[in-house]
Amino acid sequence: MEDRKENVARKLGRGFRATLEKIKNFFLSLPARIKQKLAGAKEILTQGNGKVAASMVVMGLGQLLYRQWAKGILYLLAQLAFLAYFILKGAGDLIGFFTLGTHESNAWYGVEGDNSVIMMLMGILAIIALIFYFVIYLANVKDAYKIQCAVDTMKSPASFKKELSSLLGKNFHKTALALPIIGVCVFSVLPIIFMILIAFTNYGGTVVPPALVDWVGFENFTKILTLGQFAPTFFRIFGWNILWAVLSTFINYFAGLGLALLLNRKCVKGKTFWRLFPILAYAVPGFITLIAFKFMFSYGGPINQMITDAGGTAVGFLDIDAKWTARFIGLGVNAWLNIPSGMLLATGILSNVNTDLYEAARVDGASPWKQFVRITLPYVLFATMPVLISQFIANFNNFGIFYFLRGGLYMDGYFLASDTDLLINWLYNMSIDNNYYSIGAAISIIIFAVTSVISLAVYVLSPSYKQEETYQ
Amino acid sequence: MSKNLSAVVAHIAILLAVFIVCGLLSSVAAATDAGAAKFTGELEENATLRVLENDTAIKQGYLAELIAAFNEEYKDYHITVQDANMDQYTDLENDGPYGYGPDVLYQANDRIMRYPDGKHILPLPAEEFDCYDKISEKGWQAYRRTVAGQEYTFGIPVNVQGPLLYYRKDLLPENWESEWDDDGDGIPDMVEYWTDMYRFSKEIKEGGGGKKFGYMRSFLEPYFSVGYLYSYGGYTFGKGNTDPSDIGHSKGNAELGANIIRQLATVMDQRCIDDSVTTGAYAALASGEFFATITTPDVYTMFVDEMKAKGYTEDFIAENLVTTYIPKLPASGNLEDESQGFIECNMMGGVQGYAISSYTKYPNAALAFVKFATSYEMIKRRNELLGIVPARGDVADEVGGLSEVINNNLEAGNITVMPSIKENAQIWTPLQTLFQDLAKDAFRTGAEIKYATLDSMKEALQRVDQQIYDSIFTLQ
Repeated sequence: MEDRKENVARKLGRGFRATLEKIKNFFLSLPARIKQKLAGAKEILTQGNGKVAASMVVMGLGQLLYRQWAKGILYLLAQLAFLAYFILKGAGDLIGFFTLGTHESNAWYGVEGDNSVIMMLMGILAIIALIFYFVIYLANVKDAYKIQCAVDTMKSPASFKKELSSLLGKNFHKTALALPIIGVCVFSVLPIIFMILIAFTNYGGTVVPPALVDWVGFENFTKILTLGQFAPTFFRIFGWNILWAVLSTFINYFAGLGLALLLNRKCVKGKTFWRLFPILAYAVPGFITLIAFKFMFSYGGPINQMITDAGGTAVGFLDIDAKWTARFIGLGVNAWLNIPSGMLLATGILSNVNTDLYEAARVDGASPWKQFVRITLPYVLFATMPVLISQFIANFNNFGIFYFLRGGLYMDGYFLASDTDLLINWLYNMSIDNNYYSIGAAISIIIFAVTSVISLAVYVLSPSYKQEETYQ
Repeated sequence: MSKNLSAVVAHIAILLAVFIVCGLLSSVAAATDAGAAKFTGELEENATLRVLENDTAIKQGYLAELIAAFNEEYKDYHITVQDANMDQYTDLENDGPYGYGPDVLYQANDRIMRYPDGKHILPLPAEEFDCYDKISEKGWQAYRRTVAGQEYTFGIPVNVQGPLLYYRKDLLPENWESEWDDDGDGIPDMVEYWTDMYRFSKEIKEGGGGKKFGYMRSFLEPYFSVGYLYSYGGYTFGKGNTDPSDIGHSKGNAELGANIIRQLATVMDQRCIDDSVTTGAYAALASGEFFATITTPDVYTMFVDEMKAKGYTEDFIAENLVTTYIPKLPASGNLEDESQGFIECNMMGGVQGYAISSYTKYPNAALAFVKFATSYEMIKRRNELLGIVPARGDVADEVGGLSEVINNNLEAGNITVMPSIKENAQIWTPLQTLFQDLAKDAFRTGAEIKYATLDSMKEALQRVDQQIYDSIFTLQ
C-alpha cells in the first residue's frame, strides 16, 4: 500500500487532521506562549535602553538614533501615515462604530446623515487598521531592542539591505503572505465580522437606513429562544434540519458508493457508458434540475398526467398537505443531484484499494458483505471523512432544494416557515422576505455553531482521526 | 523599566488623545447639507435623466418613442433622457443613496409607496399636472401618504391594473340565448354571474371526462383570489389600506368569499391548487380545454398568439376571444343559491405610475419629463401600443371599452387598489398558503376535509390575519 500513490481524498483527510491538530496544539500551547511573550516584553521593558524607549514613543526613532536610517524612516512614515488616517478618518470611524450614527439622513432636504450600516463597516475597518498598527508598533520596538542587543554584544546590526534580502530568502513567507492576509482581512474577515455584529443590532423591520441602527446586545438571541412564535418554530425546524442533513448525507454517500461499487464490478459491461448518465445529471445546473422536478411533481406535471390518464386521482406530491411526501421527494431530488459526485469520489478511492486484501479475505472465506464491511467501508470512510463532513454541512445548509420545490408556504404552527423549510430557508424568509436582517444574522450564528460542533465531534470520533496509523 | 513603561504609556496617550479629540469632533459635526432637490420651475440645462420603465414598454418600443419625443421637445434645454437600463424592480432604497438609482421610475403603487417613509422619492406638485382633474380620486389615493403630519402625493397614476375575464364566445352552447340568458340582456349569464359560470363549468367538467373545463384559474396568486374575500366585507389593512395594525381578511362575511373559492375549485381540477396551470392557460384557452379564465388586460396578445398558432384567423380571434369584467357574485356566498340576489365582485387591482427619486440632480427636468410622459398624447399612445388601461379619464373615455369599464369599476370601488404601504410585502405568502389550502380542501375526502363549515373558514382567515400581524409586528 505504501507504494501506491495517495489519492486526493486521503490527502484532504490528512490536511484536515493536520489542521485540527494545529488548532488543538495552538490552544494547548497558548498559556506557555503568552508566558513567553510576557517574559519577552518584560525583558525589553527592563533591559531596553534610551534609544529603545525613543522607539516606544515615536516609531523608528530608536532605529534612527542607531543610524539605521532606512528602517527608521519607514517606521516613522508608518506612524505618520497611521496618525494621518486616524486623524482624518479612523478616529471618527471608531467612534461611529460605537454610536452607529447620530444624524439621520433626509433626502428631501439633501441632508446626508449617518448610514449606520456603512459606519459599522468602516468601524470594523478602523479596528483592523488599529490592530495592524499595533503589530507594526511591536515589530518596531522588538527591532530597536534587537539592534541594541547586537550593539551591546559588539556585533554589527543587520543592515536594511540584508533584512530586505531576507524577505526574499528565509522570511519569504512573510513577503508572500502580506498581501493575501490584507485581502483576507478586507474581503473575508470583514464581512464575517460584519454579519456577526449585525446579530447584535436592531437592523431590519422599520429600522433600515436612513433610520439609525442601534446595538441591542443579545436581544435577538433572546427573542429566538423565548418569543412565543419563535422558539417552537426554531426547535421544529432544527429537528427536521438535523434529520434532513443526516439522511441526505447518508443516502448520497452510500448510494454514490454503491453505484461506484456496481460499476466497478467486472461483470458490468459498458462501464463508461453507464457512468455517463450520473455525470450528465451532475452537469446540469442544480436550480434547472429543481425547477424541472417541481414541474414533474406538480398537478399539471407529467407524473400526475400519467396517473390521471390511467384513471387515478392526481396526487399532491408537493402541496400544502404533503409534508412527508415533499420531504422524501426532497431527499430523492437531492440524491439525484449529489450521488454523481459521491460516485466519482468513491470510484477514485476504490481504484486505490489493495486487491490483495480481498484475495486474502476470499481465501479466509469472507462473504462479499463481510469484505465490504471490513475492508471497503473502513478504507473509504477513512479517506473520505472530511468530504463527508463537508457534505453534511452543505446538506444542513441546503437552501435550494425546498426553496425551489416547495417555497412560498407558511404553515400553521410555524412562524414564517413551512414544514419542509430548513433553518437556512427560515433565515431567508426572515431576512429577505420580511427584512429582519438582525434576526437572520443571529440564526446564521446559531447555524454556524451547530454545524461546527457536529462536524468537529463527528470527525474526532471518526476512524480518520482515531485510526490514521492503521491506513498509513 | 519605569522609563520604558513611561515611553509606552506616552505613545498610547498620544493615540488616545488623537482618538478622543478627532473622534469626538467628527461625531459632533453637523450632518452635511448637500442642498435640497426642489422644484423651482427652472429647468437644469445639460441634464441627463435616467428613466426606469417596465419591461413591456421597453420591448414594445414605447419607451424609445417616449424618449425620442421628449428629447426633441426639450432639445433647446439640452436635456437628454435615456433608458436607466436597470431591472424593472430596482430597489431605490438601496441604490438611490449611492447614486445608482434612476431619476424617474415607473412602478406599481405598492412598490413606489415603499419609498416615502425613507424619503427616497420626492413629493410631487400633483395639481400642476394637466392630468390632475382627469384622474379619479381612487387613482390619486394610491399615491398619497401623510409624512410628518402633512399629506403629499408621491406618484402620478398612468395605468390602472385590474383582472378581466377572458372567454371563448365560440365555445358557448348553441342554445345559450334561450337557455343561458335569463335576464335577456344578450349577454351569456355565465360571464355575468358566477353562479351560472359555476353551473356551466360543472356541466362541461362532467361531460368532458376530466379533459375539458369551463372556468379555470389557479387560486395560488392572492392578487386574483383575495377579491372574493373583499367582495364579502374583508379587507387587507384598515383605514383604507393604510393601517397595518388592522388586518381584515376575516372581517365582515369574508368567509363567504372563502366558500366561493372552495366551491369554484370543485368545477376545476387539482391544477387550481398549484401554479402549473398559470402559464399553460393561454394554450389551454386556445385549444378549447378551458372556456374561460381570469388574468390582467396586458396579456391579451399572449392568448391571440396561442390561437393563431392553433390556426385561427385574426377575424375569428377578434370575434371570439372576448374580455369582460368579472362576473357578479351571489349575495348568499353560495354558488348554488341565487335567492338573495347578486353583488359586484370586488377584485384587487393596482395603479402604475411615475415617481421622481429624491437623489436626482435634476428635479425640475425630471418633473418636466413626468409631465410630458403623463400628457394626453403620450398616455393615448401608450394605450395604443401597450393596451394599458389609462388612469386618465379623458383617454379612457375616448378609447372606451374595457378601459372605461375598469376606470368606472375603480371609481365605484369594485377594484381595490393594492395597499400602498410597505407592510403589503408581508401579506402574500400567508394568503397564498390559505388559498392553496382552500382549493385543496375541495379535493379532500372524509376526515381530511378541513373547511366543511363557514365557521372553520372564518377561523382559517383569522389565523391568516394573525400570521400577517405577527410577521409585521412580532420583531419590531
